[in-house]
Amino acid sequence: MSEVYSVELENVVKRFGSVVAVDHVNLKIRENEFFSLLGPSGCGKTTTLRIIAGLEEPDEGIVKLYGKDVTDIPTYKRNIGMVFQHLALFPHMNVFENIAFGLKMRKLPREEIKREVKRILEIVKLEGLENRRINQLSGGQQQRVALARALVINPEVLLLDEPLGALDLKIRQHMMVELKNIQKRVKTTFIYVTHDQTEAMTMSDRIAIMKDGRIQQVGAPLEVYYKPSNTFVASFIGEAVNLIEGEIKENGIVDTSLGVIYCSEQSAKGKVAVMIRPENVEIDEKIDGVDNLFKGIVQAAIFKGSYIEYRVDIQGITFIVHKHGEENLGKIYPPGATVEVGWKKNSSLIIPVQS
Amino acid sequence: MGLMDVLLKYVRKNVSVKVALLLTPPLIFLAVWFYAPFLIVGLYSFDMINIYREITFTPSLVHYSRVLSWTGASGIFLRSLYFAGINVLLCLLLGYPVAYYISFKVKKYKDVYIILFIIPFWVSFLIRTYAMMGLLDERSFFNTILLSLAIIDSPIKIMYTDVAVILVMVYNYLVMMVLPLYANLEKLDKTLLEAASTLGAGPVRTFLKVTLPLSMPGIMAGFLLVFIPSVGEFVIPELVGGPSNYMVGNIIYEIFMGARHWWVGSALSMLFIAFILSLVIIYIRGVGERGLAI
Repeated sequence: MSEVYSVELENVVKRFGSVVAVDHVNLKIRENEFFSLLGPSGCGKTTTLRIIAGLEEPDEGIVKLYGKDVTDIPTYKRNIGMVFQHLALFPHMNVFENIAFGLKMRKLPREEIKREVKRILEIVKLEGLENRRINQLSGGQQQRVALARALVINPEVLLLDEPLGALDLKIRQHMMVELKNIQKRVKTTFIYVTHDQTEAMTMSDRIAIMKDGRIQQVGAPLEVYYKPSNTFVASFIGEAVNLIEGEIKENGIVDTSLGVIYCSEQSAKGKVAVMIRPENVEIDEKIDGVDNLFKGIVQAAIFKGSYIEYRVDIQGITFIVHKHGEENLGKIYPPGATVEVGWKKNSSLIIPVQS
Repeated sequence: MGLMDVLLKYVRKNVSVKVALLLTPPLIFLAVWFYAPFLIVGLYSFDMINIYREITFTPSLVHYSRVLSWTGASGIFLRSLYFAGINVLLCLLLGYPVAYYISFKVKKYKDVYIILFIIPFWVSFLIRTYAMMGLLDERSFFNTILLSLAIIDSPIKIMYTDVAVILVMVYNYLVMMVLPLYANLEKLDKTLLEAASTLGAGPVRTFLKVTLPLSMPGIMAGFLLVFIPSVGEFVIPELVGGPSNYMVGNIIYEIFMGARHWWVGSALSMLFIAFILSLVIIYIRGVGERGLAI
């Protein structure tokens, strides 16, 4: 028995002139999954979403919704919902009419439309605002109307194109939690496009990281953070990362410009990079019990609240270390101080260099 | 600080003074060339100017009652409405697709399309109309070709008919419909149409439920820009129509310039202005408000 996928993309290609916006993308998105497409601007994530919606026609490849090939089916015949980046609420309709639009298109009876709109307004917490005009709503409320309008039609998939981009930080953080709750409640597949890794990490079951129209990695937030598939993913995800290029010497041992680094894995061959997350690195005058130990000089110490970020010069390479813990905050190594930097071998991961 | 500086500072600080200074020149212009003549027409219509061009203060409705007792007046009013109505309708039906096409379908060089559309209107209105007369004539280029190809056996007669008046009107007023419509459709957020399609609306319903209602302000602007001048049109019926195609403008012209009866002419003008004004107010109240509210 094969698993049910709500959306499948098979070898999808989309070109705009000479630019390949989406380059042979393959994706299988599970039923009721919160799936994010994450990447820098211009990576093809929005185009991929628009191809799923049918707003862009792929030049090659197949789009399936619940196993059914919809590549040649126009948007309005696909049962999808979409929340647009700038919301695209109808300015000539009030809240009720906006939300009811999709139901009217499905020719539901009036009473049922009223009931459905009421139900969805409760879910997005906008009860009593039915008769407001769109321009009488705050940004957050407009966001909810857009969400309600897309959800009320019970779409097979809900597509969200950076919907929180326009909101300020506090409301955005609140809406992230809310979105995730709503997704659990309505039990629908959410496909969420964003360039903001915090949004993707906070809400997603799985994330696809894109660059130059290609999928770099698909995985759960923990997976893409701790086991990035290449140097691009490693540096894109997380606040900071140390990447040191080198060559495999023998199993789990990489020869770098810093010298030999002991690592946990040994699958790769030839030119590789070693990834060390800054929070897994110890920094002190004297360190014991680590596999990799280097001497360096502190270049900068930046107090970031819950941790201190050190930039340590090790043989000409800048190494980033995040020092957590209350007991350390009182003791900051000033720039110029000689320190030892070290980590265990299972904190350094061998990853392929992104070509 | 000199007096000039004090004055300038006062003006700069005081918004109402600024506005007054800006509005004075156009108000003077309008007063001399519009309000004063309009007042004179009003005085004539109420019989407050005598044949010696002296103002008398004995207003009377005698000229109005003469106009209203004239049985032909309602027919002329209706014909003016009919011509202007058909004209505005045809301009809308022809102009909307043009504006829609340029705004929605043309990706590059939209300005070129608009300029191509406007270029004919750089030619004087009269020259354009005379050119049209050449095309509508019995001995026109089209008739000659159709006759020589034996597609028709007698020339098609268009000149001096209602069709000629309407054709020339549409030709002359079309641009006044297309430009406001285009300006309006250009502002329309195209993702609204995408949003409608994600909600299950096909092209037809998207047009009817989203595009059309949102283009109401453009339709309204185009309607007023075409309807108001064309209902008072008198050059076109004069040139390409005949006495049987006369509109109110022609009658007013005849009364002033032919019969030289400025009193009745003024009364007819005032009645006509009141009539059009009330129509426009009804129109804005009815169709307009929703459109204007956006």
